[in-house]
Amino acid sequence: MDINLIKRLIKIVEQSEITEFSVQEGELKLRISKNSNSTHKVHFQPTNDYQNQNIASQKAQIVDESKSTEVNTKESKLHEIKSPIVGTFYSAPTPDADPYIRIGDIVSTGSVLCIVEAMKLMNEIESDLSGKIVRIFVENASPVEYNQPLFLIETI
Amino acid sequence: MFKKILIANRGEIALRIIRTCKELGIPTVAVYSEIDRDSLHVIFADEAVCIGPAQSSQSYLKVANILSAAQITGADAIHPGYGFLAENAEFSEICSQSNIKFIGPSPDSIRKMGDKAFAKETMKKVGVPVVPGSEGIINTFDEAKIIAAEIGYPVILKATAGGGGKGMRIVSEEKQIENAFLTASNEANVSFGNPSLYIEKFIQNPRHIEIQILGDTYGNFYQYGERDCSIQRRHQKLIEESPSPFITDTIRNKMGEAALLGVKSVNYEGAGTIEFIVDRNLNYYFIEMNTRIQVEHPVTEMVRNFDLIKNQILIAAGEKIADLPLEPRGHAIEFRINAEDPDHNFRPCPGKINYIHFPGGFGVRIDSHVYTDYIIPPNYDSLIAKLIIWGTDRRHAILRARRAFEEFKVEGIKTTIPFHQKVLLNEKFIEGDFDTSFIDKQLNS
Repeated sequence: MDINLIKRLIKIVEQSEITEFSVQEGELKLRISKNSNSTHKVHFQPTNDYQNQNIASQKAQIVDESKSTEVNTKESKLHEIKSPIVGTFYSAPTPDADPYIRIGDIVSTGSVLCIVEAMKLMNEIESDLSGKIVRIFVENASPVEYNQPLFLIETI
Repeated sequence: MFKKILIANRGEIALRIIRTCKELGIPTVAVYSEIDRDSLHVIFADEAVCIGPAQSSQSYLKVANILSAAQITGADAIHPGYGFLAENAEFSEICSQSNIKFIGPSPDSIRKMGDKAFAKETMKKVGVPVVPGSEGIINTFDEAKIIAAEIGYPVILKATAGGGGKGMRIVSEEKQIENAFLTASNEANVSFGNPSLYIEKFIQNPRHIEIQILGDTYGNFYQYGERDCSIQRRHQKLIEESPSPFITDTIRNKMGEAALLGVKSVNYEGAGTIEFIVDRNLNYYFIEMNTRIQVEHPVTEMVRNFDLIKNQILIAAGEKIADLPLEPRGHAIEFRINAEDPDHNFRPCPGKINYIHFPGGFGVRIDSHVYTDYIIPPNYDSLIAKLIIWGTDRRHAILRARRAFEEFKVEGIKTTIPFHQKVLLNEKFIEGDFDTSFIDKQLNS
């Protein structure tokens, strides 16, 4: 998980009324929680896919030393939509058309969010949940790699 | 020359290819699965694209993602390394259709020479000795008995669709052949979905000796001598060396010539290896061809003093082979360092390398992608390093290897280092008197 992404996510939690959210990318799970005093704790842990117990150390551990009580896990509200393939991201079906979605739009499961073009094939990327588009991470016509975050959706 | 090369591989070979590209001034693109994010080949390449999750089928074998990665980075050539898509004719084909040069032979060459039966026929046609056997599949017990009688027992029944020891049975006399046929056929069907068998003369405890060749698009073909890869465990090579301590100059020249005849007859482009088995009477027989760069290629590089990967790239770019074969100099031995526990049946030991210190000094070459704190993923093969020793002669190479292993420290995982150290003290190995049964006979506790 990219450190810049983590910083952005912390900022989002700080500046919003969200008290807790978690997100998982591959083997890594990130949970950010804050209590009413606005201090927050960031946990970064790999899920246990390794067969060998020799892997003791985790890839990264960021723990805020300030006092804060653990908040009970609530259903996470922010979800990333990631690219399932390698290709070029297009926000609209054709160069002169309107983009599929804008920040603030409400989408439902199955809504087409964008196109990722790979090997001359236009792949429509659909949302796998319903919610509000909170963030668009990539610019039109930029290359994307596998599991690169494209959108941030807040479930409502 | 290419403007950018994408390396469709990982681990030590990806790093190896990137190094030569840097020396040639060609920008590189690494592709990686999510679990390989911190891999050295990713760090050393000029650009890197994540192509999938840890599972190879979804990443390093995912043709669409790899080609897409080439397209979005503007790479005009792909080096497939070894394993993965290196001998995949369809991939070679798709690259060419996408206007990306596959650094390797044509799809046709891969298909033909990668097919064991066709390769055998090809070599036979140009007069290269092949292992005597059936012309194709055997359909009846009687057929099997007749052919076995012709070629002489012992014979081996083999699955046409298979490998890795499955669907194989050795038969030493005629009365065993029917039963062996039935069990081998059944096993082949279960393992490969194809019960068909062919029959070959079984050559007891041979030496495995292979010839490195290069062919360019100007009709130039050269052979660069042999590698003796007889030290194997379950058909996996562990130690390779050149020159072979077993064959004579007459035989090595003949084998070299035979290899050239074969590749010329199919107009092979790129690097390739012709594999032979050699019996104790110095009779050599072609068994198969590998249409790719091999793990043990550094052995040839050290003894013949040239860069094989560089020549692969030049040939693919439409240039002539840069390095003609020089007279071999000295002796080289490669030791494959695997993350495996030799005391527990070589079981794989992925995990974190707490500390690693590589040996150095004159005549010591390390090809490795690992470093201290690197976590070996469990999803891929266990090769973590190749130690290649060059010495003025075989005895010197052995002494130098022992010295190098004394410096070689790894903590946190088990490796095959203790195994290699044992081999280096083994009398038979020191004498150069070994064949493919060496590990079973000499080192099994």
